[in-house]
Amino acid sequence: MDHECARLLPAVCAVLADPRQPVADDTCLEKLLDWFKTVTEAESSLLLLQENPCLLELLSHVPTLQDVSAGVLSFSLRLAGIFAAQEDCFQYLQVELLPGLFGAAGPLSRAVWAVPTVRSGWIQGLRSLAQHPSALHFLADHGAVDTVFSLQGDASLFVASAAGQLLVHILALSMGGRAEGHTCPQGDDWPTCAQKIVGHIEESLCSTDTSRVTQALNVLTTTFGRCQSPWTEVLWEHSPVLGSSDLGPWEMTAQALSRLGPTQAGPLALGVLKLHLCPQALRTQAFGVLLQPLACVLKATTQAPGLPGLLDGTSEDSVVADALLSSKSSCVGLLCRTLAHLEELQPLPQHPSPWPQVPLLRAVVTILRLCDGSAVPASSVGGCLCGTLAGCVRVQRAALDFLGTLSQGMGPQEQVTQVFAILLEYLERPDSSPMVLKKAFQATLRWLLSSARTPGCSGLGPHAVLFLPELFPVLQKRLCSPCWEVRDSALEFLTQLSRHWGGQADFRHVLLESEVPELTQQLLQDPESYVRASAVTAMGELSSRGLHATPTSPEQPEAQQSLLPEFLHILSADSEGFPRRAVMQVFTEWLRGGHADVARDTERFMATVLQVVSRDLDWEVRAQGLELALVFLGQTLGQPGPHCPYTVTLPKAAPPSPLTEVLGALCRVRLFEFAFRALFDCDRPVAQKSCDLLLFLRDKTAPYGSPWEAGGSPDSASVEAALQRWQAGEQGQPLGDLEPEAMLATLRSIDLEGLRGTLAQGSDHVEKSPQSLLRDMLATVGILQENQADCY
Amino acid sequence: MPEIRVTPLGAGQDVGRSCILVSIAGKNVMLDCGMHMGFSDDRRFPDFSYITQSGRLTDFLDCVIISHFHLDHCGALPYFSEMVGYDGPIYMTHPTQAICPILLEDYRKIAVDKKGEANFFTSQMIKDCMKKVVAVHLHQTVQVDDELEIKAYYAGHVLGAAMFQIKVGSESVVYTGDYNMTPDRHLGAAWIDKCRPNLLITESTYATTIRDSKRCRERDFLKKVHETVERGGKVLIPVFALGRAQELCILLETFWERMNLKVPIYFSTGLTEKANHYYKLFITWTNQKIRKTFVQRNMFEFKHIKAFDRAFADNPGPMVVFATPGMLHAGQSLQIFRKWAGNEKNMVIMPGYCVQGTVGHKILSGQRKLEMEGRQVLEVKMQVEYMSFSAHADAKGIMQLVGQAEPDSVLLVHGEAKKMEFLKQKIEQEFRVNCYMPANGETVVLPTSPSIPGGISLGLLKREMAQGLLPEAKKPRLLHGTLIMKDSNFRLVSSEQALKELGLAEHQLRFTCRVHLHDTRKEQETAMRVYSHLKSILKDHCVQHLPDGSVTVESILIQAAAPSEDPATKVLLVSWTYQDEELGSYLTSLLKKGLPQAPS
Repeated sequence: MDHECARLLPAVCAVLADPRQPVADDTCLEKLLDWFKTVTEAESSLLLLQENPCLLELLSHVPTLQDVSAGVLSFSLRLAGIFAAQEDCFQYLQVELLPGLFGAAGPLSRAVWAVPTVRSGWIQGLRSLAQHPSALHFLADHGAVDTVFSLQGDASLFVASAAGQLLVHILALSMGGRAEGHTCPQGDDWPTCAQKIVGHIEESLCSTDTSRVTQALNVLTTTFGRCQSPWTEVLWEHSPVLGSSDLGPWEMTAQALSRLGPTQAGPLALGVLKLHLCPQALRTQAFGVLLQPLACVLKATTQAPGLPGLLDGTSEDSVVADALLSSKSSCVGLLCRTLAHLEELQPLPQHPSPWPQVPLLRAVVTILRLCDGSAVPASSVGGCLCGTLAGCVRVQRAALDFLGTLSQGMGPQEQVTQVFAILLEYLERPDSSPMVLKKAFQATLRWLLSSARTPGCSGLGPHAVLFLPELFPVLQKRLCSPCWEVRDSALEFLTQLSRHWGGQADFRHVLLESEVPELTQQLLQDPESYVRASAVTAMGELSSRGLHATPTSPEQPEAQQSLLPEFLHILSADSEGFPRRAVMQVFTEWLRGGHADVARDTERFMATVLQVVSRDLDWEVRAQGLELALVFLGQTLGQPGPHCPYTVTLPKAAPPSPLTEVLGALCRVRLFEFAFRALFDCDRPVAQKSCDLLLFLRDKTAPYGSPWEAGGSPDSASVEAALQRWQAGEQGQPLGDLEPEAMLATLRSIDLEGLRGTLAQGSDHVEKSPQSLLRDMLATVGILQENQADCY
Repeated sequence: MPEIRVTPLGAGQDVGRSCILVSIAGKNVMLDCGMHMGFSDDRRFPDFSYITQSGRLTDFLDCVIISHFHLDHCGALPYFSEMVGYDGPIYMTHPTQAICPILLEDYRKIAVDKKGEANFFTSQMIKDCMKKVVAVHLHQTVQVDDELEIKAYYAGHVLGAAMFQIKVGSESVVYTGDYNMTPDRHLGAAWIDKCRPNLLITESTYATTIRDSKRCRERDFLKKVHETVERGGKVLIPVFALGRAQELCILLETFWERMNLKVPIYFSTGLTEKANHYYKLFITWTNQKIRKTFVQRNMFEFKHIKAFDRAFADNPGPMVVFATPGMLHAGQSLQIFRKWAGNEKNMVIMPGYCVQGTVGHKILSGQRKLEMEGRQVLEVKMQVEYMSFSAHADAKGIMQLVGQAEPDSVLLVHGEAKKMEFLKQKIEQEFRVNCYMPANGETVVLPTSPSIPGGISLGLLKREMAQGLLPEAKKPRLLHGTLIMKDSNFRLVSSEQALKELGLAEHQLRFTCRVHLHDTRKEQETAMRVYSHLKSILKDHCVQHLPDGSVTVESILIQAAAPSEDPATKVLLVSWTYQDEELGSYLTSLLKKGLPQAPS
């Protein structure tokens, strides 16, 4: 603990111990504990307490206070726990202080115990101190474990959950300590604490009170879920309730799978399938549980016999059918969960094999058809499902997500055609919700990309070639949607598609035949700024591929109107940040990719953009400006080295020009001035980025030595004067036309490393320091915080 | 038992951030999804693991409702939807939908400034989150699904703030969010109809306060600003981009106009235009005065307030600057503050509360020597003023709202425990309803009695009519029938019809009782004696002696038997149907008294 903190601490403790001085900000105590945690990690707690007697005074005084605030009491409990985590400190405290806080005579027996914060503090305190065998004796001697048992059923979720966690922790501590070295404790050798906890769990499991059973199961789940220690095995084998003699864990799981209702069995089945070492029969059973609801759906809707279903040959599970038919919410819930579980399972390496791709695809397509009312039911169950699922957005969302995942496995020709057909239907439907449309776009993209990856297929693949001409009219329609969400999702989809396929002749042809490029360009004027930004990104992408407008004549495909002036206009005139940020991202991409509009006169482009950006009020636009500058530097000076945080991949630039020439160019585009100003930007991320850029520039120019050294010191005084003004937060006049040598000299005179160190700390690091916290706590004493609730 | 369950994850006995889970008739709704400005790690967000531990979030929650755009009510939304993974619908009013992303971006900037991007949402996430939003109009009933519907009411407080009624069948909950029962300079007062919800969840920030009129605070504010610029000082007002800023702008604009002042007023964020644009767009949400004057002059088209350029801060002479962010966390407001702090002629006015860990908090707690970066010390000589312009209902307002809505129970959130306790008692006394104040993580369970519609068969009604009893509205009377549930419908029918419809056969239930008699004679003779005895007593009943030796009185059957162990005792088995329960009991008690001595 530093000297200043040690000086302030007694006063803070005195404030905390005085019930007439309420703690003004509820986060202070929490932050104070954070600090003590860090301090005790580095230092001896015992020493800390001895050197700062005020702490011990506080801890012994608080529990005796009559009208103590719940917050301070809870804080004291937690603080004592943090100190007592070290065994020597525990010994020091356990005689008087700890019993007074955690024993029966402590807060437990007082009215203030009714406040959840106090109970929570009590548990957290114990959780911290339970780190060594002595703590276990303490817990046993003071009956703390019994209190923890009762807190498992606490009215507060937080307390109840923490109590469960604490039991697991104590169990692990008491068993773990013994198990080390020799094999494992057997039955009666178990430590008292462990025996007590296991006994309690067993008793709870046999109880008729469901909440008690649930609590016990939660403790067990946590225990087995995260402990791989040998003792958990012992627990399993030797506990009469857990390891009942005639059933092993696998048999028990199998029984559970068959007895639980579909809602509870689903997560268990998924868990079983995630396990690596698990009997095949159980896996099959578990997968069956997951597939059952979809099998029901297929059975209820299959027209033509002979199509492979799911789980053919097994008897239908009437419980599942009941769940699907009993009520809308149960049907929707079950289907959504099933689809989500399968979606989670599919990409896992241990997913069941063979994977029933074909019937699954059929099931999902059927569900989507049931939702949009285009399915023809084959039975009364099917009819009922039709009624339940019609227009159900939740199931649509889940089914589209799963359909997207299934694109990994593709399927037979005919079925893929069906998939594209249903996707198209969803994209076309006038009443699709924006969220459903977004998911339909995402699933479509995944299927398109997968279908192009089919082995032996060149270009887009047969499906995409057939599908795209149908897709584009729909896309056109969606670009004109009255919902901004839909227009935006459509633009995002277009950008992705062009990014992947912009070079494919078939794609280019269909795109240029459509009105999509014109519509996209019109959306640059959209009233919604998010849409304008997405339109900028899409147009930038299209333009990079020479696709942003229909060529005026087929002979001159390059004769497209340049977008540069329009984008520059957006950059300087759009009142909102998102489109301007998007423009900067596009410009950076263009510069990287050597876009014709940029390459025509890169210097002029850079000069114009940097000038506009330097005035921008949005910090991300300015930061993006520095990114652009960095790419420019990389191209003129060579790639940034490994020490540079920005590992951009640049096209092979022309061999670096002579340094003087490069520096001349940097001066002409006013890159120095832009970066120097940004170095003192009031937004830290901008300054940080500028600092990195200047470091890169300095390092790159260092090996060349200073070409002007022979000619005497350059006149950098005016630059340095300007720098000082900027640092002081003044704006001042722009720098005049200055020589490269002045810039370089200035660059070398700034302590960039020091600056980088400062900037790497958060902008609030001073206010966040423990000294600042302690001073704040003292300063607020006695100040009436009348409206502290008022956050704005 | 149907019930309403409420669990605050935030705003339970605190004002840090609001996030309340409500279960009503099997539907789960999250009310607000706020962020705590006082923390810069995960503690700023509510702990959603309590929802997610039992499966996927989307499966658990039917919808999220956001009451207004303040970050302690919506700040965790992108985290919740894009990082935790909720993809269901999010409901809010149109102005909230428009303004929410601006404030989220504003806060994102502060967070990144402090710590970098680590574990904080990106701009793309804010956008993706906003795509899940469904905007609602006031008083429009929105069907979330077949059963769940919600409706927004005007709440005052800030532009677009709303109270929400959540309804499933006949059960309903009203959540107030933050509200204000007195109109202010640019917004009207909250209003709700007499919707009689099962539960009213109300904020209780000023549970024990009766606030003075806002006029006083406004006068005070103008006086201080005026005095400072008169003596040539500069006034800095740190604000968040939207909300308080607009209110204060109107105040100053009007004052400048009236006093014909020439001192420049600047607004620094670059968001002015956009913010004011929204106030213009949502003019219907503002109060009547603003709407009325709108025709002549738009209150949000400021004549005196100009956009701020960083260079202006160094200009000599007086000026007033609104700068973001509001707690002097970082950025522009802090930069200007540092520049002006050393001059005692200047003034900084903090129009809202500042969390610990900000420069705003420091100066409000009276600290005048501030440590800055690199061990520099900034001496604050400028005047520091705190003026609360927050627009919450005070104790009187809260009582007024409870009176308006007439709920069955009240639940207090967004307030301090001690103040809540006081208000709770007041509400319970005055309105004679239960009032709850759960802490975060505590669940309040309210049993409800749902009304379930049931039909009655025509046959049953006709039978009643046939008895000549006409129904009377004021005189309820008992009607016997069998309630059957078929195809999710309830119907009251006659028992015969119920049997028929359900395809059931009628069963007879008989009670049998043993009566011991001291009688040495044979069973047949005992039976004969019983017959004669009953025949003589029960003149009005049909008493029969059957050939098998048993005796019947109406449906009651009496048989005599001799237990083998004691020939001197006879046992009478008396059995009757439940319809003849009365007669059966009577006979049993009669026989228990014994038979009259036989005439010798």
